[in-house]
Amino acid sequence: MLYKKLYSKSVALLAITGLILTLSSCGDYQSNVESGNREGTLHWGNGTEPQSLDPHIATGVPEHHIISSLMEGLVYKDGETLEPRPGVAKSWDISADGRVYTFYLRQDARWSNGDLHNAHDYVWSWWRALQPALGNLYAYMYFPIANAKAYYDGEINDFSQVGVKALDDYVLQVTLTEPIPYFLQLLDHYSTYPVHRATVEKFGTADQRGTRWTFEGNIVGNGAFQLKEWKINRRITVERNPHYWNAENVRLNQVVFYPTENVTTEERMFRAGQLHYSGIPSDKIQTYSQSDDPSLRIQPYLGVYFYRLNVDKPQLSDKRVRRALGMTINRDQLVSQITKGGQIPAYAITPPGTMGYYPESDLAFDPEGAKKLLAEAGYPNGEGFPTTEILYNTSEGHRKIAVALQQMWKKHLNIDVILLNQEWKVYLDTVSNHHYEIARAGWIGDYVDPNNFLDMFLCNGGNNRTHWCNPVYDQIILQQVPKAQTHQQRLELFQQAENILLDEMPVIPIYIYTSNNLVHPTVKNFGRNILNQANYREMYLEPQKTEAID
Amino acid sequence: MIDPSQPTLKGSSLWLDAWIKLGKNRLALSGLVILLFLIVVSLLTPWIAPYSYEEQNLMLGATAPSAAHWLGTDIFGRDMLTRIMYGGRVSLMVGFIATAVALVIGILWGAIAGFVGGRLDAVMMRIVDIMYALPFMIFIVLLMVVFGRNILLLFVAIGAVEWLTMARIVRGQVMTLRKQEFVEAAYSMGLSKWAIIRRHIIPNTLGPVIVYTTLTIPSVMLLEAFLSFLGLGIQPPQSSWGLLINYGVETMEEYPWLLIFPGITLSLTLFALNFLGDGLRDALDPRASKD
Repeated sequence: MLYKKLYSKSVALLAITGLILTLSSCGDYQSNVESGNREGTLHWGNGTEPQSLDPHIATGVPEHHIISSLMEGLVYKDGETLEPRPGVAKSWDISADGRVYTFYLRQDARWSNGDLHNAHDYVWSWWRALQPALGNLYAYMYFPIANAKAYYDGEINDFSQVGVKALDDYVLQVTLTEPIPYFLQLLDHYSTYPVHRATVEKFGTADQRGTRWTFEGNIVGNGAFQLKEWKINRRITVERNPHYWNAENVRLNQVVFYPTENVTTEERMFRAGQLHYSGIPSDKIQTYSQSDDPSLRIQPYLGVYFYRLNVDKPQLSDKRVRRALGMTINRDQLVSQITKGGQIPAYAITPPGTMGYYPESDLAFDPEGAKKLLAEAGYPNGEGFPTTEILYNTSEGHRKIAVALQQMWKKHLNIDVILLNQEWKVYLDTVSNHHYEIARAGWIGDYVDPNNFLDMFLCNGGNNRTHWCNPVYDQIILQQVPKAQTHQQRLELFQQAENILLDEMPVIPIYIYTSNNLVHPTVKNFGRNILNQANYREMYLEPQKTEAID
Repeated sequence: MIDPSQPTLKGSSLWLDAWIKLGKNRLALSGLVILLFLIVVSLLTPWIAPYSYEEQNLMLGATAPSAAHWLGTDIFGRDMLTRIMYGGRVSLMVGFIATAVALVIGILWGAIAGFVGGRLDAVMMRIVDIMYALPFMIFIVLLMVVFGRNILLLFVAIGAVEWLTMARIVRGQVMTLRKQEFVEAAYSMGLSKWAIIRRHIIPNTLGPVIVYTTLTIPSVMLLEAFLSFLGLGIQPPQSSWGLLINYGVETMEEYPWLLIFPGITLSLTLFALNFLGDGLRDALDPRASKD
């Protein structure tokens, strides 16, 4: 009997090995896409479990995809042109000097529980977003508003001095310090979305992090959809919000977000008809493009892939070391052989062409120069350089890049680098708390302006996360840029700031993203824009007669 | 190894018998030969590997098997044959050392519990039960997190988890053995408990232990691959067979050779171990008739 048991064990083991070797596809086949097309349910591969659904805490793209279905700002961006469209505000006036914005809110806007939704919600929500105790990493998005920075820094304690006022229940007035061209775009960013006061306060104080208010059954939003179900690590389902002001024109009934960290698995789910939208592993792009698959979408994407260097670490505190690291990355080979999705090598942080800004850079692939710099910094031929760790969030794509860089640095600088991967939420925490040495990062534009890429690295910027701080840089971004008289002058100031960033290199730009995705042909009104922001309000599904995709 | 406590009548030892029997088992012998071959290749890898295992050639990228690269190259342009050879060093080392750790702890624990019996047995087995109840993956992950990433610790951590089943098997065997006549005879001849365990009990449990060992080695190799995949095991650019397979699966449609060759190597090892284990069990069973 004992032997029998052992044999059955050995058979099971062989079976498992066989499974790993052949990787048989999932057994039960029921196509989500077919049933979804019938029922109006969009199945969305969202990459990872969200860090939070609180718009004043979240910082990532996966969170954005979910939150933008649950909540809405004063305006929203057109899916194609990114022009501001009336959201909760039905119209607005801008004063002649471009400093005062007056928003007229819809009287029929409601929260998803039916509560009235008015201008006071914005004043309260923005007050909340500026509470230092909340730890809102995006607080600097409010700094164009008069006195917002002073309030956030604790220099003034009276929120009524901050430039946001409810003139009456449905009129909101916002005063800016300087006229900035991109202010309306900020209002479609989740950091400026309103939150439902009664709900937030029911589950904790206003500036308390991680309360239960965003959980299934609790969260109240004002978007086109409302949260129906949140099964951690399995799916998040949102359903149509009947109280949404434009509910009759929302055509999807449900969106289901799947947190699939492994893009290979996600792509397989797409092929098996389980998803309408998914990412694509770099090695499969060629296969898809050769067969002219209509699902493949490769588009420009306003984002930069870079590495953060923690300047607190002794070996990375010297800017010559940081430059040397940046100069030994062969970006051309990396994008042509590893990422393979038409990405552009990046030698500056701002993607070229952002509002007419084409950053110049003295950064180049120069191993010899890098060796000299490293020697000057006290590590001739890499001697004495401690083993340094690259942190990345778990993903096949990030791993490949890290493995390639590990070898480039070993080859050109003779320094040892090890790899560490963490799940998305843990990774975000680790990086925010500066418990890393080198960390992979990506920054996708929240709005189309170089400012969005450069104001990240302000001394107290929540998304800086490197502890790098340069007062001259801060002065240019905060004081000079907003006061620029002409567009040309503004771009020159950005270039000045960018030069400081490149000279000191607290972050190493690696490549400019392209968005490579698979979108099922039945998804209509998907919208193409360089921010790859999904507009679920307008999307719909059109079942095909024959569901023929392979 | 003639046992001096035996009567001086000439007898052949258990080990000699076993060796002769094994020699007659073609399948087991071929398993042994394959295994020895893999071990020798692994040991000699730093001197005979055709390329460097970490040197990348991004412009070459993934290429199918060719005259220059017999098993092709991976997406970083690294030679697959070299990667598999170096991977074998890690996989075999983890497989053997972690299993050896499990073996030593498991046999001692099981033999003592089974032989002494009574309250000690109850306590020892409850400890095993408690360890069983711990979700072992979390247990290993915890160990790695607390003590840091270190390949030696990986061996110990895996071994420390894998001995549980071994202890149970051995205990069960010992329970049936200790009341048998030859053990009684050994008692009556005045042998100490420890001598009885060592000389009579453990050799009699060898059959199932060896079978289980040959099953443990491949499962440990896969466990290592899983832990390394989570970032808790070995570090890139180092690799192991399990990791190579894991990565190969990602691109099995585009670059099948990245999956096929490490897969074949691991399966071959697994078969060799199983055949050898089978043969050893037959050969070492002291109850089987001597011919």
